[in-house]
Amino acid sequence: MELAQERDAGTNVIRPAGRVDGSNSADFHESLMAALSGDDNRVILDMGGIDYISSAGLRVLLLLAQHLSGNSTPFAVCSLAASVDEVFRISGFNQIITVFGTLDEAKAQLA
Amino acid sequence: MSQPWRILVVDDEPDLEPLVLQRMRRHIRSGKYEFEFAGNGLEALEKLRADDSIDLVLSDINMPQMDGLTLLSQLGSLNQDLRAVIISAYGDMGNIRTAMNRGAFDFVTKPVDFDDLQITIERTVEHLRQWREATASRDKLVTLQNELDIATNVQQSILPSDFPATAKYEISANMVAARNVGGDFYDYVSAPDDRMFATVADVSDKGIPAALFMMSSRTALKGAAIGTGSPREALVEANRVLQADNPTLMFVTVIMAVYDPHGGQVTYSSAGHDPPVVVRADGSAERLPAMGGIALGIAPENVFVMNLKEHTVTLGPGETLILYTDGVSEAMNVEHEEYGTARLLQLFAGNPPKSADEAVTAVFDAVAEFAGEAPASDDITCLALHRSATP
Repeated sequence: MELAQERDAGTNVIRPAGRVDGSNSADFHESLMAALSGDDNRVILDMGGIDYISSAGLRVLLLLAQHLSGNSTPFAVCSLAASVDEVFRISGFNQIITVFGTLDEAKAQLA
Repeated sequence: MSQPWRILVVDDEPDLEPLVLQRMRRHIRSGKYEFEFAGNGLEALEKLRADDSIDLVLSDINMPQMDGLTLLSQLGSLNQDLRAVIISAYGDMGNIRTAMNRGAFDFVTKPVDFDDLQITIERTVEHLRQWREATASRDKLVTLQNELDIATNVQQSILPSDFPATAKYEISANMVAARNVGGDFYDYVSAPDDRMFATVADVSDKGIPAALFMMSSRTALKGAAIGTGSPREALVEANRVLQADNPTLMFVTVIMAVYDPHGGQVTYSSAGHDPPVVVRADGSAERLPAMGGIALGIAPENVFVMNLKEHTVTLGPGETLILYTDGVSEAMNVEHEEYGTARLLQLFAGNPPKSADEAVTAVFDAVAEFAGEAPASDDITCLALHRSATP
């Protein structure tokens, strides 16, 4: 899966795009892990380009969050599309993964 | 005719043996089941070591010499492909939890209801049959598709089929699995005072690990419902069991409701799942409030309970409660539009369902018609509980 990425003073912003479901969740996982670096002070997943995420995709986010929390690297997602935001609210994922409205808010507040 | 299923009944009460032989006589005569009996866990282990053809162990918990829980923990060392069903006192959460942790496949409660026992045995051996068939074919050809077939078999084998129906209410449900995605299941379990638990759940991901997680989820939810009597408490308990040992971070979203047919009250709670829909007697419908829970298996208990609520509504005569998975609301047509909850709420306008079965059929027909040629991308599950119009 193609990911856009920008690094700025230790902040790693990863921008996936498209649909994440059971058919590409393994690929999504691999791409995200490959986008991490040992120099990251914090990681922000900008989900603005994701229009659909299934439970298999949510599980990948959990695996990523667990991996980063093991390194004590702060992690958040931001810019959820309305449909993805609803999935986060209904599944309760907004209670276990930090969510910001915009990338600017995430950059300003994630520590 | 295939070989009879061999069932070892372990109980220190001498009354159980003649009762089982009497109540199961039809199935014994037809060659479907064969029963062996043991008076305690030690005796059972001796029989199992001497005879490797036992398929199912049905065991009481409290027995002299070796109790049922110790027996359960010893079964693994026998290296036999068998399943255990435990007979427990209703609400005995401590023992139920231990039995779940030690791999019990299912439970029946005391006093033993032989109709329920018959159904439980039926489901357990059906599960075992599909499991053995699937693992036998896996030995021949280990491919991803084959693994998915095993997962599908496991999924089908845990779905109950004899739906409860009384003069006051009835339940119906259906699950249609999408290719390559397995995860939905439904279940129901009866509770004291004629109450009935109904559950619809959706496991993340697919394949063998997800299928195994599905089995643990179903057992945990059923045991927790029996052990606690309240949907919210049951979800907390099931989360505790599932989260304790979950290195792969699988999760399951669950909507659980308990129905009291005497007053029509429905109490429900949800772990990361869409709330129920109620269809009124005039065919109008509304979505009940969300309960704020997190999917089971991933949040520690202190976080899990924080926003989790439970809610009670009354189902009037002729009204229907609908539990469903996102396979219904997120079903897509060829234009990539979603079916959506709004369409579901409009479905019965002017045409309220007169039975649970009618409601389930209408939902599946509507989703199929909407999706048209588009292949289903997720499992579709719908369970309906219909309160009779005439009390």
